[in-house]
Formats: sequence, structure tokens, C-alpha cells
Amino acid sequence: MISRPSVKASENRPAAEFAAGRPLLAVRGVTKVFGATVASDAVDLEVWPGEIVGILGENGAGKSTLMNMIAGLIAPDAGEIVLDGEGVVFASPRDAAAAGIGMVHQHFKLIGSLTVAENIALGDPRWGRGVLRFEPLRREVGALAAALGMAVDFDRRVDELAVGEQQRVEILKVLSRRPRLLILDEPTAVLTQDERPGLFRMMAELAARGTAVIIISHKLEDILETCKRVVVMRGGRVVDAAPVSGRSRADLVRMIVGENLPNVSRGAKADAPSAPLMTVEALTIGRPNGTRAVEGASFTLMFREILGLCGVDGNGQSELIHALSGMLRPLSGRVVYHLEGAPAGAWLDAAALRRLGLCHIPEDRHRHGILSGFPLTANYLLTHLGLRDFNRSGWLRQRTIRSRVTEAVAAFEVKAAGPQAIMSHLSGGNQQKLVLARELAAAPRIVIAAHPTRGLDIRTIAFVKQQLLRMREGGAGILLLSADLADIWEIADRVVVMTNGRLRGPVAVADTTLQEVGHWMTTQ
Amino acid sequence: MNAAVVRRDVFWGLVILLAVAVIPGLCILAAGKSPFAAYAALFGYTLVTGNGFAEVVVRAIPLTLMALGVVAAFRTGIFNIGGDGQLITGAIIAVTLSPWLGRLPAPMGLMAFLLVGFLGGGALGAFVGWLRARFDANEIIVTIMLNYVALQFLTWLIRGPLQEPMHIFPRSFAIASSLELPLLIGGTRVHAGLIVALAAALIMYLILRHTAFGFRMVTVGENRAAAPFAGINDRRTIVLAMLLSGGLAGLAGAVEIAGLHHKLQDDFAAGYGLAAIAVALMARLRPVGVPFTALLFGVFYIGVGALQRQAGIPFPIVWIIEGVVILAFLAYGALIRRNLAHS
Repeated sequence: MISRPSVKASENRPAAEFAAGRPLLAVRGVTKVFGATVASDAVDLEVWPGEIVGILGENGAGKSTLMNMIAGLIAPDAGEIVLDGEGVVFASPRDAAAAGIGMVHQHFKLIGSLTVAENIALGDPRWGRGVLRFEPLRREVGALAAALGMAVDFDRRVDELAVGEQQRVEILKVLSRRPRLLILDEPTAVLTQDERPGLFRMMAELAARGTAVIIISHKLEDILETCKRVVVMRGGRVVDAAPVSGRSRADLVRMIVGENLPNVSRGAKADAPSAPLMTVEALTIGRPNGTRAVEGASFTLMFREILGLCGVDGNGQSELIHALSGMLRPLSGRVVYHLEGAPAGAWLDAAALRRLGLCHIPEDRHRHGILSGFPLTANYLLTHLGLRDFNRSGWLRQRTIRSRVTEAVAAFEVKAAGPQAIMSHLSGGNQQKLVLARELAAAPRIVIAAHPTRGLDIRTIAFVKQQLLRMREGGAGILLLSADLADIWEIADRVVVMTNGRLRGPVAVADTTLQEVGHWMTTQ
Repeated sequence: MNAAVVRRDVFWGLVILLAVAVIPGLCILAAGKSPFAAYAALFGYTLVTGNGFAEVVVRAIPLTLMALGVVAAFRTGIFNIGGDGQLITGAIIAVTLSPWLGRLPAPMGLMAFLLVGFLGGGALGAFVGWLRARFDANEIIVTIMLNYVALQFLTWLIRGPLQEPMHIFPRSFAIASSLELPLLIGGTRVHAGLIVALAAALIMYLILRHTAFGFRMVTVGENRAAAPFAGINDRRTIVLAMLLSGGLAGLAGAVEIAGLHHKLQDDFAAGYGLAAIAVALMARLRPVGVPFTALLFGVFYIGVGALQRQAGIPFPIVWIIEGVVILAFLAYGALIRRNLAHS
């Protein structure tokens, strides 16, 4: 799709383009491969001074990878990054910062026990090496903050600040180095509705002064309200780029999910009236900070169906999944599991639910799904400790475990040195395959699968879908949370959509359209 | 593992060995003594003479048991620094109940004495585990503080309720002779606690390697967040692991009383707790390695005396040697891991 210039791009450009000035940043044919996944596939991107560009795309579309390459966190495998007409190679974020590229990460890199001033001074030699000179810092950064309309108290400890204030400190820290290009990764994810205008005003002010701004966001409003131009990524490629003005939210949804989606015809279902497997009644779930993640959700998961759970990240789907799998006690409402031996009415924890035949492919594999320093056998055993084949009155039967893992590794085509290979030596996709093999091995009645295909290559994604369909044919009910609407469309029977903690649906896939679901996902 | 990696490991092993020999040697030289005479005294007495080695073994018995307790806790991701307090508690409870236990038929009484010691230390450990599991209390601070509580409690008991009948010396009454651990080798102080310690090492190995309980322990230690997802009760696992950990320290206390002191007294097992952590870490938290590293530390403890008597070297030099050995060992471990990551 892209021909990689063998000559330096700046020498190869038509004169007309010079007349119109030149882009501050030009990314040409940048490619990055992680294991079997092409995270960034010959990406081209131009950003002009004073321009605010929005990057849209699903999870794993390659947005963060691209930004991390521009900001010097990771090195591209191929292609070039041209800044102000000069090809640049960054060995570290420090190099990129010196060249005028600043990035505000989704997870702040601040030190909570230090004050705002100390955090800003950290790692910046302009405020002194060894002995820090806070007076010039306060003067300069204070003036910068005032010019942008930001209030800042230099003496407060960062851990006493609200998240929105912390973000301002992080932004100020980056801005204090006077970047020519500011990259914001999901800046509104941590902000309340009231805090967003402040951020947007600051972005506009910066752009007016000639700074280029790139903003990554899942929220379409952010893009519509702030950006001049939007770039859409999918599967590591830039698939669309267009001016924002005159576009509606529906246009953006269409750009994200694409027009040419595989239109799998579902046909009429032969086994029409099937029995309920899991009934969710008026479930309300809280967050640790006291707000409500899910408000009065009700739906039924049927025998032999795949129910897709759609929604933009952070709208309560994770909490719902955690509650249904026994990890999180809801504030009110109840879940009835129509499984043999399930006690009615009582809240069941994960251990009890697993015994009853529910399995859970967790969203955060590293945190919840695997023991990365342990061999594959231990990772497989993790959720099968109750199995009599493996555990005879407390004694582990290592040989049986090893042979079973060897079979699973072969069946799921996990690329590993053997059953005793250490989990962290496997690629992410192969780790996920082992998790799938483990979870689906117990012939579960209910499968709760959160982003089972995230970060996988196309071949593996197809394999995972096939496995889920196979479980469905066996009579299991599958609740499938995916950020990729196309995935859900291909295999789900019905969908529910979550926005702001409220559930819409379920509705049969045959009775709706992708555009309609996309619209629900983004309507507050 | 390819040949280059092996060569690199051997190379670093030699460098570390050299450092262990040379750095303390320089210190001894700086003190105006001959390093060779010092090493000869240190290793000559402890490893060559029968009496010296017997004392090394005697010292290694409680170190092994306590270090196994450290292994149980650390493998579960809990930093139990409270071995001393748990040892004292186990010994106190065992001695307190000894008048009744002494009336039991001979082997039963001794076994009950050791079991009570295990349960006493285990109860204190389990309490810490419960605080950690339920309230996320920092077990390092809790166990360090409980060490002082246990120590002061012992100081009071042997001057008060448990003091010997004459009320003269600050020590408890002696336990019944039926509760004493028999000597294994005549003419030495090596007692049957050695068998207890070696059996404990074997049992710990079996637990960690071959039981579901051990698997739950190491799972919680490796990734506590993943445990509840898999249906493993992480809180209960932490409490039980701390019961085992404190129990082994308490057992060490009961063994020291039954095998060596036969009564409670001030500092009857002072400072074993921190040494036990070093013993466990040097064994890479593997139960089978613990008796060997405990022996090495026994050499240091017993060698101090010989160093002073025979070479006229002030005893702190032995702590320098000990420190260098620990650091060198940890450095070697880190180097090997780094090599693994690079290969």
C-alpha cells in the first residue's frame, strides 16, 4: 500500500509542498513487529505546526505503538521519522524531548510523595544538577501555567491532588520543556465531564501558539470538539484520515469500524426456544471511589448462545464481568446461575462458580490470568486445582499434569519449548492460547471471555473464534466482551451495549446493524 | 544451556569465590593479623575437629527449622521477620504446659511438647497472616514489633510466674527429663533435633513441590491477584502459610528447649531470626538447600570463638566474612539471572 522512499523524503518532495510550508512531523512507512503481531504496519502520518490531530482506533489498533515510536520509547523496525525536514532516530525519550517532542502518558509518571515543583524539576537539568533552583522554576512554569489558564500550587504533594490535577502537573512537566509537538494518550480517560473543557482550552491555546498536538482518544466527543483532523487506525495501519469539520459522530463510527465488514449471515436459528443459563437482575456495581460502575443491569444469557457485550472502554463492562465471575460483590441486584448444584440467592465467589462450571478468560492477562515466572504446567494447573485427575486428596499428580499440558500445547498450537517452559518466555499470543486451552479444557457451561482476541494475530483470532463457536455448539453460553465490533458481529447471536454503566439490549445481531450499535456505544 | 553460558557462570563463580576470600583477608591484614592463620582457625576448628563440627551441627538445627519457616512465608510473598518472636512464643507455651506433658508416656510427651511448640509459634504467625490478609497490615512491621513483645514477655515470665522454684535465677523450672530430646552422639551436644530438622526440610520440600497447598502458597507468592481469579482463596492461603512459617520457628524454640537448654532463660536463642533469613535466601528459598546453608552459618557462629581464642582476632571480623559471603552469593544469583535473561 505504501512505497517506501529510498531517498530521504524531504529531498523527494514537490516544490509546491514547500510553498505551503512543511509538516513539523512526518512519519513515513514506520513498521514495528512484536512477535507474530504487526503493531504498526508501514504507517504514514504528517502533523503540521499549530494543528490538533486526533488518532482514533480500537484497542490494539497500533495507536500507542505509533506514539511510543514518535516519543522515542520504542525503536521502529523500518521506516523513518522526519522532524522539521530532518530524519531523526531517538535512542530514548530523553532524545525525543530534547528534539521537542513531549508525551503525556495514560499512566502518569509522577512521584506521589514529592511536591508539584519537585516533580516538575525531576530529571530536568535546567533547574539545576544536584542543587535544585526552585525560584526560576516557579517563575517560568508559573508564567506558562498562567498563560494557559491553569491554576497550579507548586507546594502541594502530588498524592494529595485529584487525578485531573495530577494530569495538569504531568502536562505542565512536559510543557515546561517547551515541546513543539505534544502527544496526549487518552487524556480524558481520567477526567470528569467538568474537567474536560479546561484541558481542551489548554490544547487550543497551545495550538494557537504554534505547538502541534496529537490526541489519542476512544471518546468521539473529544475528537469532535478539539481536532482539526482525524486519523483512523485499524490493525496497525492508517485506514483513513480526514478533516473533522462537518463530520458527525456517526461518520466517525463508520470510519472506525469500516464499511467493508464481513457480513456473516446468521440465518434462522434451528434450536429456537432455549433455556436460560444465567439471569442477571437489576445489578448495580460500585467503584472503589464511591461512584457507580454499573446501574441496574438486567439480561439473560441463554443456553447455546454467544452474547456480545459491546461498549467503549471504561463504561462499566469490566466491573460487570468481574461481578458475574464472582470477583466483585455487587451493591444490589442478583445473578442466578442455572447450573446444577448452584445455591439460589447466595452470592457466589469465583472458586464456587468455577466448581459449578463457569470459566473466565480475564481481561488483564498479566495481572489476573497467568503466573509469568512459572512453567506452563503451573499455569495450566492454576484453575484446575480441584480436578481429581490432578489433585488426589491434596497430592499433585505431576505426570498427569505434564501429559495433559503437552496435549493442550499441541491442540492449541502454543509455540513453546515444552510443558516446563517458563510462561514469560512465550509471546503474548501464545500465552493467551495457553489461557484459552486451560479455561476451555474443563468443558465449562458458562464462558466469560473478556477481550480474548486482544493483541493476537489474525490467524490466532480466527482460531479463538472457532473455539468459542465450538463451545457454543457444545451447549455453553458465552458472554463475549470485545472492543472489536467486527469480532462480535462475526460470532455473536445477540448483543448488549453498555454506556455509562447502563445496559441496552439484548438485541439479536440479525435485528440490528453495526452502525446502530456503534451509535448506542457512543450516546451518553 | 549452552557451553558459553556454563563458562560464564563458572567464570563469575570463581570471581565471587575470590572476592569472598580476598576482601575479609584484607580486613584481617588491616587489623595486623595473618589472614591465613585466621582462616585456618576458623575452618580448622569448625570443620576438622569433631567437637567443633558437632557444635556447628547443634547450631544448624534451629537455623534450619527457622529458615524453613522463612521459606514458607517468603515463597507465599509474605516477609515474616518475626522468627525470633515466634520461636520464643513456641518455647514459652511448650514449657508452660510441660508439667502436664511430662506425665504422658515417654515418646508421646516429647512429641506433644514439640507439637505444642509448633502450634504456639504457628498461632502467632497465623495471627500476623490474618492481619495481613484481612487488613493488609504490613507484616514486616507487625512481626518486628511482636518480636519485642515476645522478648519482653519472656523476660517477665522467667522472673515471675515461670521462675524456678528457688526464685533466685532469672530462668524457668527445668522440663521433665521425659520431655528431653535424646543425644545422638555421645560426648557431644548433638541431639535428636537434627532428625526433626532434616525431616522438616523433607516435608517442606514435599509440600512445596507435590501438594495442592504448596501450589497455592507459591501461586499467591508469584501473583496474588491471579489467585482469586483461579478460585484460590488467597487470604486463607496466607494465614495457613504463616501458620506453617511461625510453626516452624515455634518448633525450633521447642527443639532448643528439649534438646539443649531444658528450661527458658534470657536470650536462649538470640538473633537467630535474621540469620535464618540469610540462610533461607542463600538456599534460594529451596527447602533442600536450607540444611546446607544452615551448616555454613553454623560455621560462622562457632568459628567466632575459635577466631578469638586461636588467632587473637576480634570477633566482628567474622561478621564481615559473613556479610561478604551473603552479598557475594546474592550477587552471583543476580549475575546468573541476568545472563539467563540475555541468553
